[in-house]
Amino acid sequence: MKNFYEKRTFFLWILLPCLVVLAVALSMRSGQYDTSVECVLAAFSHAAGLPFFSDVTVTPEQQAVLWHIRLPRTLVGLMVGAGLGISGAVLQGIFSNPLADPGIIGVSSGASVGAVLAIALGVSAVNVFSLPAFAFAGAMLAVGLTVSLSMRHGRIPVMTLLLSGVVVGMFLSACTAAILTVMNEQKMQQYLFWTIGGLDYRRWDHVLLGIVPIASGSFFMLLLSRHLNLLAFGEVEARAAGMPVTFFRLLFLSLASLTTAAGVCISGNIGFVGLVVPHMMRLLIGPDHRKLLPASLMAGGVFLVACDSLGRILIQGMEIRVGIMTAFIGTPYFLYLLRRHMKLSS
Amino acid sequence: MQEMIRVAGLYAGYERQVILENVSFGVAAGEMVGLIGPNGAGKSTLLKTMRGILAPLAGEISVMGQRIGDLPAKEFAKRAAYLQQHLEMTFGYSAREVVLSGRYPYLSWWRQERAQDIAIAEACMAYTGVAELAEKPLQAMSGGQRQRVLLAKVLAQQTPVLFLDEPATGLDIIYQEEIFRFCRELCAAGKTVVLVAHELSLAARFCSRLLLIGRGALLADGLPREVLTAERLTGAYGAPVQVVENPLTNHVEVFTEAEKGTGRKSHLLQVILGREEAAS
Repeated sequence: MKNFYEKRTFFLWILLPCLVVLAVALSMRSGQYDTSVECVLAAFSHAAGLPFFSDVTVTPEQQAVLWHIRLPRTLVGLMVGAGLGISGAVLQGIFSNPLADPGIIGVSSGASVGAVLAIALGVSAVNVFSLPAFAFAGAMLAVGLTVSLSMRHGRIPVMTLLLSGVVVGMFLSACTAAILTVMNEQKMQQYLFWTIGGLDYRRWDHVLLGIVPIASGSFFMLLLSRHLNLLAFGEVEARAAGMPVTFFRLLFLSLASLTTAAGVCISGNIGFVGLVVPHMMRLLIGPDHRKLLPASLMAGGVFLVACDSLGRILIQGMEIRVGIMTAFIGTPYFLYLLRRHMKLSS
Repeated sequence: MQEMIRVAGLYAGYERQVILENVSFGVAAGEMVGLIGPNGAGKSTLLKTMRGILAPLAGEISVMGQRIGDLPAKEFAKRAAYLQQHLEMTFGYSAREVVLSGRYPYLSWWRQERAQDIAIAEACMAYTGVAELAEKPLQAMSGGQRQRVLLAKVLAQQTPVLFLDEPATGLDIIYQEEIFRFCRELCAAGKTVVLVAHELSLAARFCSRLLLIGRGALLADGLPREVLTAERLTGAYGAPVQVVENPLTNHVEVFTEAEKGTGRKSHLLQVILGREEAAS
C-alpha cells in the first residue's frame, strides 16, 4: 500500500511535469513548417540571451513561426486544457458524480448562444475580442440561470441543479438553432468552425484574453481543494462537519464556470477533456482533490497540447482540429483504463 | 449534572408534513439515550432536527445552553457530531481520508490538516480498531469495518455530544454489541450519546435511558425497564408485544405475539403454494 502512495507522488510531481515539457516541445516543433527540437531550444535560448546553442542558426522565418504562431498556440492549448481539466474535476466533486463535466451546468450551450449571436449580428467581424466576449457573457448567464432555477430556501440540491442544467442547455440549444436557421451560409460556416473547437490561428491576443480568468480561477480552486473533499461526501456529511455547504457550492461553481467559460471563448467548444481527464487522474492517483486538482490541471494541458500536435502531424499537409482529436484519442484510452480498473477491483 | 441538550415544544418534520408534535426533554452529560419506536415514527427526523440538518417547524433546541439556530456552523460541529444512517460514497476515499474530514471544524479555510490533526485521526482509528485499514477505500469494506471507520470519523470531531443514527443496524451481533459497548464507554468517560436503535433488547442492555417515539409524539421517557413494558410497546408499535426478563442474563427480551392464522390467511398461503385458486 505504501508503494502505491509513492507511485502516486512520483506520478504527480515528477512524471506529469515532464510530460508537460515534452508536450510543449512536440507542439513547438511540429507543423507544416519543419523545425527541429534543437532549433526550438536555440530560438528560446537566443531570445533569452543565454549562451546555449550559439552554433545553431535560427532563420528569421523560423523565429517568426515559433514566436507568432506556435508559441501562442501551444500556450492557449496548455491554458485551455488545464482549465477544462481542473474545472471538470471540481464539478465532478461538487456533484459527487464522475459523469459531470463543464457542459452540465450550461457553460457550453450558453457560450454557443453568445457566439452565434456575435456572428449573426456581424460584430465578430469588427473586432477579434467581440466573439469571445459574447461567448463568455453567454456562458456566465447560462450558469447564473441554471443556479438560480435550482436554488430553493438558500439551498442548492444537487439533483435539481443537474436537471436545471439539462433544461437550460436544451433551451439554449434551441435558441442557437433558431438563430442559425436565419443566418447565411458563410456565417453558418463560421459558427461551425467555432463550435468544433480548435487552436489554429490563436494569437497572443487570445493568450492575454484567457490568462487572467484561467490562472486566477485555477489558483483559487487549488487553494480550496480540501473543502472539495468534504463537499464530495454529500450535503449531510458536509453540514454535519460544520461546512457552509451552499456558500462553498456556489463558490466552486463560479470558479469552475469562470475558468471553463474563459477557455471555451478563446478556443471554441472542446469536449471530452473536462470529463475524461479528471476521471483518468482519479483512477491513477485516487480521489483526494488536493492531488486530483493539480494532476487534472497538468494532465488537461498535456492532453490538449498533445492532441493538437498529433492533429498537425498525422496527415501531411492537413490539420485535424483538436476538438475532434480529443475524442478520437481520449475514448479508447478511457475505455482501456476503465476495463483495467474493473479487472483490478474484481 | 450539566444539561447538554434541551428540546422544548419541538415540532419536527418537513414543509408539508409534521412528523413529531410537541416533543420536550432534556439530556444530561454522560447519558446514553436510545430513541426507539416503530419504522417511520420519526426517530431519524428528531435526530436530524437536533443536529440542525433539518430546520425545526416550531419549538426550540439548545446544545450546551445555546440555541442551535444561533450557533455558527463550525461552532455547532465542535459541540455535536452526527453519524448518518446511510452514507453514499461516490468516490473511493480511504478510511484515513474519511476520518480526517472530522477535523474540518478545527481548521481555518486556507489550512491543511496539521500533524496534530493526523495524530488525532490515527488515535480514533486505533480506538475503534481500524488502524490497519487506513489506506483501504470505504467502498471496499464490510458493513462492520465501515461503521467502525465512520465512528472513528465522528470521534475525530472531538465533540461532547454524539448523535448516531442507527449505528449498529445491519451488522453482525458481534459488531452490534461492540458499537453499543463503545458508546457506553464513551458515556462513562463523560460524553453524551443520543442514538437511534432498532434492537430493543440491545438498547435495553446498554442505554441509560430510552425515549419511545410513536404516533407522532414522545410516548415514554425513562429508564429502559420503565419504558419497555408490554402495554407501552403494544401501543407504540400497534401490534401485540410481550416483554419478559430472561432469568439467565437478567436482560429484557422483547418479542411480538404471533397473529392467529385466520381462514383468509391460510387460504392466501395455499394460493402462494399453488394449491388453491385465488378467490377474488
